[in-house]
Amino acid sequence: MHMHTEALIGELQERARQIRLDTLDMVYRRQAGHPGGSFSAAEILAALYFHHLKIDPANPAWPERDRFILSKGHAAAALYVALARRGYFPLADLEKWGHLDGHLQGHPDRIKTPGVEMSSGFLGHGLSIGVGMALAQRLGGPRYHVYALMSDGCMQSGVAWEGALTAAKYRCSEVTVIMDYNDVQLDGAAHDIMPLEPLIDKWKAFGFAVLEINGHNLRQVLDALDEALEIHSQPTVIVAHTTKGKGVSFMENTALWHGAVPNAEQYAQARAELQEGA
Amino acid sequence: MEIVMRPHVRNFIEWAKDKPEVVVLSADLTNSCEIGEWRDTYPDRFFSMGLAEQNMLGFAAGLAREGFFPFLHTFAVFLYRRPYDQLAMSIAYPNLPVRLMGFLPGILTPGGVTHQAIDDVAILRATPNMTVLDCGDATDVESVLDVAQAVNGPVYVRMLRGEVPRLFDRADRMRLNRARVLSRGTDVAILSSSVCTEEAMRATAVLRARGVGIQHLHVSTLKPFSDPAVMEAIQAARYGVITMENHSIVGGLGSAVAELMAEAGAGKKLVRIGLRDVYAHGASRHYLMKEYGLDAISLVGAVEGLVGQRFGLTEDDLAAVRLQAVHSEAKAEAL
Repeated sequence: MHMHTEALIGELQERARQIRLDTLDMVYRRQAGHPGGSFSAAEILAALYFHHLKIDPANPAWPERDRFILSKGHAAAALYVALARRGYFPLADLEKWGHLDGHLQGHPDRIKTPGVEMSSGFLGHGLSIGVGMALAQRLGGPRYHVYALMSDGCMQSGVAWEGALTAAKYRCSEVTVIMDYNDVQLDGAAHDIMPLEPLIDKWKAFGFAVLEINGHNLRQVLDALDEALEIHSQPTVIVAHTTKGKGVSFMENTALWHGAVPNAEQYAQARAELQEGA
Repeated sequence: MEIVMRPHVRNFIEWAKDKPEVVVLSADLTNSCEIGEWRDTYPDRFFSMGLAEQNMLGFAAGLAREGFFPFLHTFAVFLYRRPYDQLAMSIAYPNLPVRLMGFLPGILTPGGVTHQAIDDVAILRATPNMTVLDCGDATDVESVLDVAQAVNGPVYVRMLRGEVPRLFDRADRMRLNRARVLSRGTDVAILSSSVCTEEAMRATAVLRARGVGIQHLHVSTLKPFSDPAVMEAIQAARYGVITMENHSIVGGLGSAVAELMAEAGAGKKLVRIGLRDVYAHGASRHYLMKEYGLDAISLVGAVEGLVGQRFGLTEDDLAAVRLQAVHSEAKAEAL
């Protein structure tokens, strides 16, 4: 396992902050989007796109690139920011989110947007797709690792657990699930709407190695991503405890900001808080 | 008539020999979909996915995304109802080359309503990027693989298994969006698909001998549906048009023809033979086709209605019905 330097951690913290700021701007500009679940995933996306993933933005179809599937497709804005800032397309494209002449849909579209591995937005599907992508390697394809970022909402759907059964059957260590466990969904607290607990026990029972972390602690995120690559006999899930709306006081831990748009005053306050968070 | 036993089995094994990118996924109906020998021949390319169709379709999307061509084998009904969200969003929307091989389409199963795909064509015609193929005989079954594989996108195939008649010359292979012309005439146009073509042929020879000019087309491509030969047959039909399908009359071949006729301003009568917006029940194929009016004598009635003439034909005047052997004595529900 690598020792991650303070400099790297600091750089990625800045990336995460930028993802939140850009996402906030995009949601405000478009007057639509999902700030809550984008903010909870900011450190995870920063760690993946600015350090961990083996990718080449100049060659999005590089056969040996790592595959990342945003199963929680409503966090599209955060993914678009990561892709743009990583160099997949110009930053100016972000301003055309949802525009007819842009390539950025409300939820990710693999055909329209460079760097999007798979269309998503229909929750829960990412793991099954990821296992299929991973097993393709065993038929003689190039080598890569597959990452699927799932939400608690994803894990309420049956197909997600069907995917888990399949990953376990094939001892699919080429797959790492990252679960953005912010415990808040559109209708309220996930533990009230449809409880997932005991979640760790469930993943273990389904044949996964489980790493439990604070999803906003970049050192823990990076260490877990590295550790998952050292597990060779089973798939891994990183259960990342996160805060919905992280970084903006009035958005944190409330279902109100799952898919809401701030007014001018709220936008200014959110921006100020995110900038102070540097 | 030549009856071919399990035409898919050997054909698919041979066809896949030099295609390492072709893989098979099965949902616990491996031998029921005649794919057991394929599995034994190419074990590395076979994935047994269990009774989890939603996952199977997502998994297939992942394989297709990586350059493989997954051929999914299960009963037609389980390919689109249980996993429709995955079919539409993981496969059709990203336009991935997944081949959905649906067995026992329509009322070909005595398993009853839970096993009968009577609305699959309606749903898949309405699914963007999807190509829909429907086999009517052994030649169709043998040649549908090439047709499907030439499509750069998802394909849904209504497959036949077991004892399959050869209605069309072996060399006369299925072609995409091209109906087969089985007889020519300008009184009535009959467009049939799936096993209804075999059933229609029991009646057409007799009707033609009675002086009715019949342009009979077998339709194996239900989407796209723009073969000029179809419109020509419709335009030429003096008395009207009849469709006959192993499916609901809502959304399938009958609806496709109705849309075509209306849009072309072909103001003439259309009779749609098929399930009349009902769930069927479990019984033999022969019994169900008779019970729900998908049989040759129903076609005779439809022709009589259009031409305004009675021919006094009975079942005895038609070509003999072909009764199928029970698929498996051990599995009376034909699983």
